[in-house]
Amino acid sequence: MTATSDAPLLTLDELRVDFHTPTGIVNAVRGLSFTLGRERLGIVGESGSGKSMTGRAILDLIPHPGVVTAKRMEFRGKDLAAMDKGSRRKLRGRHISMVMQDPKFSLNPVQTVGDQIAEAYRVHHKASARQAKERSLAMLEAVQIREPQRVYDLYPHEVSGGMGQRVMIAMMLIAEPEILIADEPTSALDVTVQLQILKILDDLVTSRGMGLIFISHDLHLVKSFCDRVIVMYGGKAMETLPAQELDRAQHPYTRGLLGCLPDLDHPREKLATLTRDPAWLA
Amino acid sequence: MSTQHAITAEKLNVSFGDSHVVKDLSFAVSPGESYGIVGESGSGKSTVLRVLAGLNRDWSGEVDILGKRQPKIRDKAFYRAVQMVFQDPYGSLHPKKTVDDTLAEPLAIHGIRDAEAKITRAMADVGLPSSFRFRFPHQLSGGQRQRVAIARALVLEPTILLLDEPTSALDVSIQAEVLNLLQALRQERKLTYILVSHDLAVVGHMCERLLVMQFGRGVEEMSAETLAARTPQTDYARQLLIASEGFRRAG
Repeated sequence: MTATSDAPLLTLDELRVDFHTPTGIVNAVRGLSFTLGRERLGIVGESGSGKSMTGRAILDLIPHPGVVTAKRMEFRGKDLAAMDKGSRRKLRGRHISMVMQDPKFSLNPVQTVGDQIAEAYRVHHKASARQAKERSLAMLEAVQIREPQRVYDLYPHEVSGGMGQRVMIAMMLIAEPEILIADEPTSALDVTVQLQILKILDDLVTSRGMGLIFISHDLHLVKSFCDRVIVMYGGKAMETLPAQELDRAQHPYTRGLLGCLPDLDHPREKLATLTRDPAWLA
Repeated sequence: MSTQHAITAEKLNVSFGDSHVVKDLSFAVSPGESYGIVGESGSGKSTVLRVLAGLNRDWSGEVDILGKRQPKIRDKAFYRAVQMVFQDPYGSLHPKKTVDDTLAEPLAIHGIRDAEAKITRAMADVGLPSSFRFRFPHQLSGGQRQRVAIARALVLEPTILLLDEPTSALDVSIQAEVLNLLQALRQERKLTYILVSHDLAVVGHMCERLLVMQFGRGVEEMSAETLAARTPQTDYARQLLIASEGFRRAG
């Protein structure tokens, strides 16, 4: 991977995702703009804030009746909006890929995990079955699976949640994408396993010079893991700030979210509750 | 022993077929206390709660609740005194029953009269407007559903509430509202809580004492002060505390 230029990998300007339902238009994302470089960008928000829809819109995975529009939506200078479905599909997995929340529902239950990883490789690269298997085994090793040979032949129900998530990461990174979107990649996992997965993700992203979009509802996790954070509410970015400074956030929504969290260091009789201001969405 | 404590478990063992999921677990909870059980998935914490609630009958050992040795099959009076709130309000409420149906059923089962007034009061207690009474679960938000689940548990006026991850399916802002509600109810009614959670900050906020479980065993019992000071005795508890602090990049 060459990390020569500082040009952004991804530029989004005024991204909108609207669902045209029989009862009216639902605005899932309302005018979100950001650029992504070779960094770890966190997107945090509560359910319904549009954070997952943003990830899906980048990959062209918004289901009907959703409509994606943007003033500008570029991947390394190429206009995504102008591309046809076929070109978008070629980009997906090869250049931009996504790790989903729960390996239980995201892996094919009737195919061995090794074959699934190999398939992901062969879809994007010319390779023989044997080469693909070798690459897959190497990739399983890269995500710190101890006995790749044995795990290769296991079915998804035979692996633990943490191992399943490593398999997913292996599958997504084997095509060597420039951008990885991780949508709540560790929310279904125990805290200790969560940290192992994040460590693997962190090492791979850093060593390959990738851009990572890390979607999460967990403010503490994003603060400790990401470089930059976008706080979303109701489909809009409330504020964007360096992750380190999340504790000193200015926006009342971010402050409110932080205030809601029980904190071992600052015990309180009563937790603060969040008052939502309609003006935030104006 | 049994007169001082609201709940005691002595050498509790639970097996599902070949897997031994709770091993020789003993603990005691005083009346009015809030006791936390934490651990990772598969540690047996929810199973313990299900045994206490009478939902699991394959156990051995001794369980005393409110001064009575508990048989495998509990009587009706037991369920009036001990109620449980489940993790996922999307799964625990019957989708085709209104809030009114959900709250009326326990009253009917126990032959309690004056259901009208009890339902109105239970809804007011958990902060649900009376206009919600004839709504179905799909017409409520996650936080409102969990309030219905709590109201359902409270309508029988129990003395013990068993809480199985009551806020882990909710957003943090809603979690704060539900936790505040549970705190206020406990003070008002002198309830005894056992709260199962994987979130140490929630347990630290809600409980006076907690038990850390791993692989079905009680690893360490500690006070909330010990948790806040991060001075547990055992390696596993220390590890769990560090893991819950967030990600640390090796320098």
